[in-house]
Amino acid sequence: MPPQVHNATAHSDIVVELQDVHKVFRQRQRSSKLSETIRHMFKPRIREVRALQGVSMQIRRGEIVAYAGPNGAGKSTTIKLLSGLLAPNAGRVRALGFDPINERVQYVKRIGVVFGQRSELWYDHPVAASYEWKRVVWDIPQDRFARTQKRLIEVLGLEEFFHSLARELSLGQRMRAELGLALLHEPELLFLDEPTIGLDVLSKRMMLDFVKELNRKQQLTVMITSHDMAELEQLAGRMVMIDHGKVAFDGPFEQLRQTMSDGRRLIIETSDETAPSLEGAELIESQARRHEYRFDASQIKIVDLLNQAAKQTSIIDVETVRAPIDEVIANIYQSWRKPKEVLELEEAL
Amino acid sequence: MAAKLNSMWRTLKRIWQLWMFYAKLDLLLLISDVRLALIYFSSELLTSIGSVIGLLLLAQRFDGIGTWTLNHLYVLLGYSTLVLGILNTFFNYNLSLISRRIGRGQLDHVLVQPQPLWMIFITEGFAPLSGLMGLIPGILLFAWGLIGLGVSLDLGWWALLVLNLFASGTIMMSFNYIWGSLAFVAPRSSEEISSSASRLLDQLKVYPLDGLGGLLLGSLMTVAPVGLVAWYPVRALLGLNSSAWSIWITPLAALFMLGIALFCFLKGLGYYATTGSQRYSSLGHRS
Repeated sequence: MPPQVHNATAHSDIVVELQDVHKVFRQRQRSSKLSETIRHMFKPRIREVRALQGVSMQIRRGEIVAYAGPNGAGKSTTIKLLSGLLAPNAGRVRALGFDPINERVQYVKRIGVVFGQRSELWYDHPVAASYEWKRVVWDIPQDRFARTQKRLIEVLGLEEFFHSLARELSLGQRMRAELGLALLHEPELLFLDEPTIGLDVLSKRMMLDFVKELNRKQQLTVMITSHDMAELEQLAGRMVMIDHGKVAFDGPFEQLRQTMSDGRRLIIETSDETAPSLEGAELIESQARRHEYRFDASQIKIVDLLNQAAKQTSIIDVETVRAPIDEVIANIYQSWRKPKEVLELEEAL
Repeated sequence: MAAKLNSMWRTLKRIWQLWMFYAKLDLLLLISDVRLALIYFSSELLTSIGSVIGLLLLAQRFDGIGTWTLNHLYVLLGYSTLVLGILNTFFNYNLSLISRRIGRGQLDHVLVQPQPLWMIFITEGFAPLSGLMGLIPGILLFAWGLIGLGVSLDLGWWALLVLNLFASGTIMMSFNYIWGSLAFVAPRSSEEISSSASRLLDQLKVYPLDGLGGLLLGSLMTVAPVGLVAWYPVRALLGLNSSAWSIWITPLAALFMLGIALFCFLKGLGYYATTGSQRYSSLGHRS
C-alpha cells in the first residue's frame, strides 16, 4: 500500500498512521562450539533481524483491523511501537495525533492495551482493587468510573470473581478482567495483542462480542492480533497481513479469499462406502459413506463434480461449504515461506 | 510565577493522593488475612534485628568497638536500620531493586501508565505498613543510643538528621539504579550483579570504618559508598568529625550519586526504546 498524505491528529478521521516504518533488532549469535564461543567473545557475531521493513498503513476512526501474520512476522513489534514501548529505527509513527514515545503521558491516557500473555492486574489483590488503582492513576472522575465499572461488570460477567484475588482467577476470568481494566478509562483506541490465547469458546465469544458492541456504539477503534483467523474474520472488517516485516495484504477478508482461490469443500453421502474418484477435486476425508473433497470453484463447477459422482454411485445427500479462513491463511503462509537458499542469501547480504 | 506555584502545588497534591492510595492498598493487603499479616510482621522484625544483631553482640562483649562506645553503636545501628526501613517503606514492589523490573520486562507496565516515570517511581512502591517493621527497631535503637549519650538536640539537628537519612537512602537507591541499569543490556546477569552490589552496601553499612587505610576508606566512601550509608553521617551528626561542614557531605554525595544514577538509567531507557524487552516474567511484579 503506498502511503497516503494524511496526518493523524487528535480529532481527525485517521487515528493510526504508520509511514515507511523500519524496525531492526540486533541479535548476538551464540555457538555450541568452544572455539567459536571464545572467538565470539572478542568478535561478536551479530545478526540483524529486520522486524519491520517499510510498513505503511492507516487506520480510520471506528475501524476494527485484524493484524495477522506468521510467528515472527512483526505483529507484536508493531503493537509495541503503537503503544509507546518501542521506537522505530526509521519512519513515522503517529496515533491519535501523538508521537507515542515523545508524548507518552498524554497519549497512553487515551489508549487501551491488552497483551494476552501479560497481566496489568495486581496479583495479590482482588480485581476490584486493580480497578480502583486504575481510577486513581488514570484520574478518572468518580461518577464516570462508577458508571463504566458497573457496565463492564455486567457485560463481561465479572461479578462472580470481582472480589477474588487476581492470582486465583482462571485464564478466561483473568482475560475478561484484563479487558475490562483496559476499557475502564473509555479509550478511543484499543490494541489487543493475542487477547484470546488459551480461552474457551464462551469466553472468547463474550470478549469479542463486547469489543464489537463498543466499536458499534462508541466508535472504538481496534487493532487486534491473533492466530485464530475465524475469530478475526468474525470481528474485523479489514485484515492487514504482514510477512517478513512487510505489509503483504491490506483489505477485506472476502478479497483475501479471492486472492488465493475460491477454495470450497464438497461433502457427499453415497449409497456405498467407496469414495467416487472426482477429477478436479481432492479427496481429503472418507468416513463410512460420507466423503469430503477439496476443490477450487473458480476452476471447476460443482455441477460437473456431481455429474462425475453420479456416474459412479448413487448420491444420497450433498453439502458444500467454503474453505475455512484458517486454511486460506495457512495456504498464504505456505506460499510466503522462502526457500532455505534464499534466506541464506538474504542473511549473507 | 503564580502558574508555576500552582503547577507545583498540583504535583504535590497528586503525589500525596497516590501515596494515600498505595498506603491503602498496603493496608488492605495486610489486614485481609490476619494470620499472614502476623507472620509477615514477625519475619520482617526478625530480618531487621538479624541484620544488626552480630555487631550488637560483639559490641556488648567488648563494651564498644574501637573508639565507638556502646551508645554510639546503638545510634549507628539504629541509623542504618532506619535507612533500610525508609527504602522498604517508599520503594517496595522491587522499585529499589530496579534490575528485577527492567530485566523481567516489567518496565512495559510502567510505560503504559499516563504519568511521568519519576512520579511512578516515587509513589508506586509506597508501603508504609509493610515497611513499619524495618522502621520500629531502627527508631528504638537510635533513641536508646541518643538517650544513653545524653546529648541535647535542637530542632535544627533533627532537621539535619532527616536530611541525612534521606540522603543515605538516596545513595543506596542510586547505587542500586547504577548497577540495575545494566539490566537494560544484560537482563539476566544484571539481576545477579545488581543484587550482589546491593547486598554489599546492605551488609557492610553497620560497621564503623575508623582506622581503615586511605585507599580502602576512600573506596568505601566513593566507589562502593558503604561509609555514606550510616558511618559517616552518624559521625557528623554526633559531632565526631572535626569539621562542622561534614554534616553536608552525605547530602551532597547523594545529589552527585543521584545524578550518575539518572544518567545511567536514562541512557538505558533510551536503549530500551530501541531494543525493548526480550524477556518477560510476572514474578516480582506487583506482588
